[in-house]
Amino acid sequence: MNWFGISVGVATLFIIGLGFIWVIRGERYFGFLWWPYVMGAGVLFVISSIFISNHYVSALVGAWGASLLWGSTELKEQAVRGELGWYPFRYGKILPPLVKIIRKWKAPSL
Amino acid sequence: MGLASAAATFFAVWLGHVSVRKIEREVEGLWIPALLALSVGIGLELASLLSPSLVLSTVFGIVGVTLLWDALELYRQQKRIEHGHAPANPQNPRHANILARHPKATTLDWLDRDPRGVPFTADELRAITEGTK
Repeated sequence: MNWFGISVGVATLFIIGLGFIWVIRGERYFGFLWWPYVMGAGVLFVISSIFISNHYVSALVGAWGASLLWGSTELKEQAVRGELGWYPFRYGKILPPLVKIIRKWKAPSL
Repeated sequence: MGLASAAATFFAVWLGHVSVRKIEREVEGLWIPALLALSVGIGLELASLLSPSLVLSTVFGIVGVTLLWDALELYRQQKRIEHGHAPANPQNPRHANILARHPKATTLDWLDRDPRGVPFTADELRAITEGTK
């Protein structure tokens, strides 16, 4: 019996569940324009997972990176949900560095 | 190991996200795909348990739990249709029934727009709804 995959799977489910929370909260306070930074952080976590020798830690850091990558593509839709009144809307969001450039890019949505 | 879990997580979430919406929209009896997701999910967890390879065990474990979650999401997606948070498909008899019984259900895809930075007023929301009728 190999319990490794199931335990990583269950932990990943919690990581994904955490994604629901940080996408909602993060968008409310910071706005969706942070998406390139979130995406970059996701890529960094996935790459760094390759260099971690502990199997459990490596697998979970990889799943966390993938969840950040996915979340970065969810931020735009979440911003619309806030504007539609489905979630609390907050004025005065803390905008990211280089926001003028990011505004010109098309935010991903999968 | 991290790369395998990252790929499994990203693609399982992506595929789940797209296929739950598509299947819920097209299929009349939701219990069929839900039961299928449930059985394949349990099957993958068993495969994960029996796999001697750590990479395979990880991939099966992650894809399996997301499928189990997808079985639940099919019903959560139906709730979104009832609330009008996802567009109903009038060609699907189950959705046609929802459209008839739930005043907020709509064929309009509210999320098919770019963020504009300010919330919509009640009047604006009403104008959007009436524009689709």
